[in-house]
Amino acid sequence: MNVLHISSGKVLTVQIESITEEDYKQIKRSVYYFDWKREKEHNVFKLSLLDDSHIIGLISLKNIDSEERIEIRLLAVSKENRGRSKIFEGITGNLIAFACRDAINRYGSNGCVSLYPKTALRQHYIDKYGFIDSGYHLYIEAMPMFQMIKKFEL
Amino acid sequence: MSIKKLTKKYTSEELADAFIFRSTLSPEEEVIAAEQLKLARLKSRENLTDNQRLYANVLQLRFMIEDYLKSNQFNQELSFGNILRKYIALNYKINKKFASDIQLDETELSQLLNNKRMPSEKTIVRLEIHSNNLIPAVSWYKLVEKQHEHLLSTDQQLRDQQAVFVKNKLSLL
Repeated sequence: MNVLHISSGKVLTVQIESITEEDYKQIKRSVYYFDWKREKEHNVFKLSLLDDSHIIGLISLKNIDSEERIEIRLLAVSKENRGRSKIFEGITGNLIAFACRDAINRYGSNGCVSLYPKTALRQHYIDKYGFIDSGYHLYIEAMPMFQMIKKFEL
Repeated sequence: MSIKKLTKKYTSEELADAFIFRSTLSPEEEVIAAEQLKLARLKSRENLTDNQRLYANVLQLRFMIEDYLKSNQFNQELSFGNILRKYIALNYKINKKFASDIQLDETELSQLLNNKRMPSEKTIVRLEIHSNNLIPAVSWYKLVEKQHEHLLSTDQQLRDQQAVFVKNKLSLL
């Protein structure tokens, strides 16, 4: 798993780990936008550069075993990685690919990842990550999911 | 910063590149959403080929191996022999055919599956090639290594047998 350091063009290795109680103390709304403590009952993961404690992305996942599906409840990159002046490229892609890996890991060929998109953002998730429109949900499974896993080297 | 302010500061593409927001659907809408998704997935699954299903299942096995190798625990269920058995079952009804496909003696395969012998490097590389590089040789090798480590650290009989060959043991506290 890698991200691109935009200004230098260097490709850097990243890691994704479960969040700890200690991490919650450092996760501020001013940097990660949402109140992440509200996600404690779900599976929250952090993305950081290898051997670096600074979190550059967060994702909250909910396993829906009865439907063999993982729902992305929430995702945010750190403040310095938003917009035109962002430092790294690929944080969101890595986090979504991680959810795809988890879905395959748990549910095999039936695995699926879904999210509820904001209307204005819907087409971007479809174009950039291969999500499919099912109405309220966007979802990804099978080939587009395999491609995400391959692209982000999980 | 409210979502309104965010949308003023960033383009929708930049927002999609930075966030997935919480659902704001009502419970009624969520029921409809779940039904829509179920129907869409049913259609998608009809188009899933045997090849794609196999690819997903081999990937699942690879992830199982990777996660197991990261853990500090030894698990007999995930020994080399048992993982190989799972791998073969993904695409073969009989082991004999698999043995023939990687040119392995049937008896040797049986011993590998029953953890009665460990695979050679050649066999491990053939497994990688057979999986179309989806499960790397290094993963198979590390499975074997983990099994060796466990045996070495728990084999009391071997210790008892070898103790008679050791003289002048270090006298330590």
